[in-house]
Amino acid sequence: MNGPTVVWYLCVAAFLFFTGALGVLIRRSPLIVLLSLELMLNGSNLALIAFARFHGRGDGQIFALTVMAVAASEVVVGLGLIVAMARRNLDLDVDKLRTLRG
Amino acid sequence: MIVADAGNVLVWVVWVVAAFACISSGIAVVSFSNPFFSALSLIGNLASLAVLYLLLSAEFVAAAQVLVYAGAVMVMFLFVIAYLGGQADAPWAGGPSWQALGAVAASSALLVEVIVVIGLKTGGRLSHAAPTDYFFGSPSTIGRLFLTDHLLAFEITSIVLLVAAVGGVILGSHSRAQPPLAEAER
Amino acid sequence: MIVAAWICLFAPLGAALAITLAGQRLGRRGAGFLATTGVGVSFVAAVVSFVGLLGDSPDDRSHPSTLWRWLTAGPYHFDLRILVDPLSIMMMLIVAGVGCLIVGYSIGYMDGDDEERRYFAYMALFVFSMLLLVQGGNLLMLLAGWGLVGLSSYLLIGFWHERPSAIAAAKKAFVMNAIGDATMALALFLVIQRTGSLDFEKVFSQAGSFGPWAANLIALGLLGGAVAKSAQLPLQTWLPDAMEGPTPVSALIHAATMVTAGVYLIVRTSPLFEAAPHVQELAAGLGAATILLAGLIALVQTDIKRVIAYSTMSQIGYMFLAAGLGAYANAMFHLMTHAFFKALLFMAAGIVIHALTGEQDLRKMGGLRPLMPLTFWAFLIGSLALAGMPPFSGFFSKDSILAAALANGGWYGYLLWAAGMVGTFLTGLYAFRMLFMAFWGEPSAFVREHLHHLEGGLVGWTLAVPVGVLAVLAAVGGFLQFAGIWTPVSNWLDPVAPSLVDASGMQEAVSSIVAVLLGLAGIGVAWWIYGARRASAPRPLVLLERKFWFDEVYDALFYRPAVLLSQGLLNGVERPLVFGSVGELAGSVRDLGLGARRLQTGLVRTYALAIAASLAVVTVVFVVVR
Repeated sequence: MNGPTVVWYLCVAAFLFFTGALGVLIRRSPLIVLLSLELMLNGSNLALIAFARFHGRGDGQIFALTVMAVAASEVVVGLGLIVAMARRNLDLDVDKLRTLRG
Repeated sequence: MIVADAGNVLVWVVWVVAAFACISSGIAVVSFSNPFFSALSLIGNLASLAVLYLLLSAEFVAAAQVLVYAGAVMVMFLFVIAYLGGQADAPWAGGPSWQALGAVAASSALLVEVIVVIGLKTGGRLSHAAPTDYFFGSPSTIGRLFLTDHLLAFEITSIVLLVAAVGGVILGSHSRAQPPLAEAER
Repeated sequence: MIVAAWICLFAPLGAALAITLAGQRLGRRGAGFLATTGVGVSFVAAVVSFVGLLGDSPDDRSHPSTLWRWLTAGPYHFDLRILVDPLSIMMMLIVAGVGCLIVGYSIGYMDGDDEERRYFAYMALFVFSMLLLVQGGNLLMLLAGWGLVGLSSYLLIGFWHERPSAIAAAKKAFVMNAIGDATMALALFLVIQRTGSLDFEKVFSQAGSFGPWAANLIALGLLGGAVAKSAQLPLQTWLPDAMEGPTPVSALIHAATMVTAGVYLIVRTSPLFEAAPHVQELAAGLGAATILLAGLIALVQTDIKRVIAYSTMSQIGYMFLAAGLGAYANAMFHLMTHAFFKALLFMAAGIVIHALTGEQDLRKMGGLRPLMPLTFWAFLIGSLALAGMPPFSGFFSKDSILAAALANGGWYGYLLWAAGMVGTFLTGLYAFRMLFMAFWGEPSAFVREHLHHLEGGLVGWTLAVPVGVLAVLAAVGGFLQFAGIWTPVSNWLDPVAPSLVDASGMQEAVSSIVAVLLGLAGIGVAWWIYGARRASAPRPLVLLERKFWFDEVYDALFYRPAVLLSQGLLNGVERPLVFGSVGELAGSVRDLGLGARRLQTGLVRTYALAIAASLAVVTVVFVVVR
């Protein structure tokens, strides 16, 4: 294979994943949280594709496509929730949404 | 490890540019306070990822990424952001809370661990990729795999999409909408 | 005969259980009849056993019978065992006979009380316990009966539990009896250590080989139990307070049977006492001291029941005197006649109290003779028997005790004889003081206002018949033994407890004459002051009114330190350590919960952080381990 080996791609994927994780943990707006979640999913997609290339089989790509489809569905539901929250005039702040507090 | 010759250099250059764009747009998604800018950064991220996929001979996936992810999902995001008015949310304001510090610590720790694992534990096993043929990432390969080895995943994914669509309709329908809360109840 | 003895033992227990289990389904009077029938069956069975025993030859009259092996502890074993022999039969007849009469009397006396059923269950339980005590075939059964009678006494003294004075009296009786129980138990431990068994035959046959130190301790322990149960010096303070219980209870338990258990104990374990002669002399001395003490205090009592209670104490002193001298048959004979006339006195007093709607103060009474003639005659017979006037029963029994003291000789015997004689004078004085104060003269104002005649019908009969029977017994019961000439009682008990002293005819005569004269003198003084009102009663000494300060001394010596100790322990040990540790435990668990609660912030971010952090840790572990 020309260019960087699989390891380099994996590093990028890891970086993307943990940046997304950081965003999920730190940000307060649920919209940004969803976006960070997408980032994480993309990071894992990259890892999958890299390994597919490494093994020379297409299974990883199938997996990545399935992940993409599921991510799309999840975004639909998540955005629907956010829109419903906004319609009820709830604060779009995950720190304020704490009715499940013990 | 780096074998630099004429054919390689182009690949390397493209890789560096794409990787850099990927990483910086990722950081940008997390850092911007305006969700609109975050969404745009994510689109940039998706684009650079598509380039990386092409470098990895996954052509169909790259195309799907751009069409589906950047074209449909992100557009949906931008619609919702436009509808909501994009409330600003300053993550780094007010000094780092213990939550933020903890998060940074945890994620960086994990990152380091993963890199250590990849670097140390695998030895040299990840250095030689298997040879691939011309049809490696083509739609025909993907299609054949979907309809033979991974038929179950294919069907279940379609059901998931159906459920999501139904859920989206229900969540958005006006008749089920609960009345907005008064100011005092928020 | 053995079967009859077992029936005698268990019939009252069966009655008690039946009353308890029947509960509300049994009428109140039905409970009374059931209890009386149970004790009545017991008496009949005792008579049958007695007849059977009569048929045996005098040397062959000891019949033990075992139901099963009750306790096994290593090399020791103790059986559920009764012994039918002359001594136990005598006690069985007294307990069951007088018990039956008194339980029957209770049907009328307790009529209308809300908790009659509980009363009759307790009374039946008591009769069973007392029978267990006297029929016990080894010291363990005796101790079991001993404890059970203490329990029944506690339950019955405190029967009217709404009265704080009754509850306090019950506790006092129980605690003082417990002291006796403790010393008895220690004595029994020594016995087991020396002989390995508690059966009467084994223990008594080895009594001579205990060695002086052990023999004295054993006898002292048994004497302690006897003194506590029989309310002798120094453990006598509970008996007057025990009069808080209903009058039939006082009649049965605190006159006829339970308090005489101490005498029975000494007579039964006479070989053990004979192995420790000094302790036996001590018993006689305590008896004599109690005669005088109780007689003196009785002179100033104003409650009719308290006078009779102190009289009981004094008369049991005579029995201890006899047992201490070795005149066992005399002691048992006096026990029997005392049961008759003392129960008679109590029951007659009960009729008076009932007629005056609960009033017990002698100063308020007066002139009851024309209003309650039959009761007066019963009281008179009882008082004459108590004072030892011939031909009533007390004369025969008490005088033979005094003669035995003379026969013992030595300075000690004469001292005891003198004490007994002084006691006779005091007895006549206080008994007739009570009689004259209550019955003589004009009816007092209180009597005229409050007297109500008891109704006829069942209540009247149940009150009258037992009193009548006991009056007859008190009158003629003495003819069972006459001083050296006609001695069926001594002959009967001889195989079990042979007498150590034998009074000559001259000693008997001297004692009788002096005693009768002194008794008449006492009656005369009482007549002079209280009957004919020729002179006024002298001011009572504070010493006597305060009962020789015994209660105060015991309070200061024992009760206060115990209270202080327990309060100190409560504040110093129980509160901080026990409550504190439990509280600490609960508090720390609660704090733990509160701390864990802080994890549940409700924030998604916190949970996600938790996941990420734990993932980091797990990864490190995974990597390092693999």
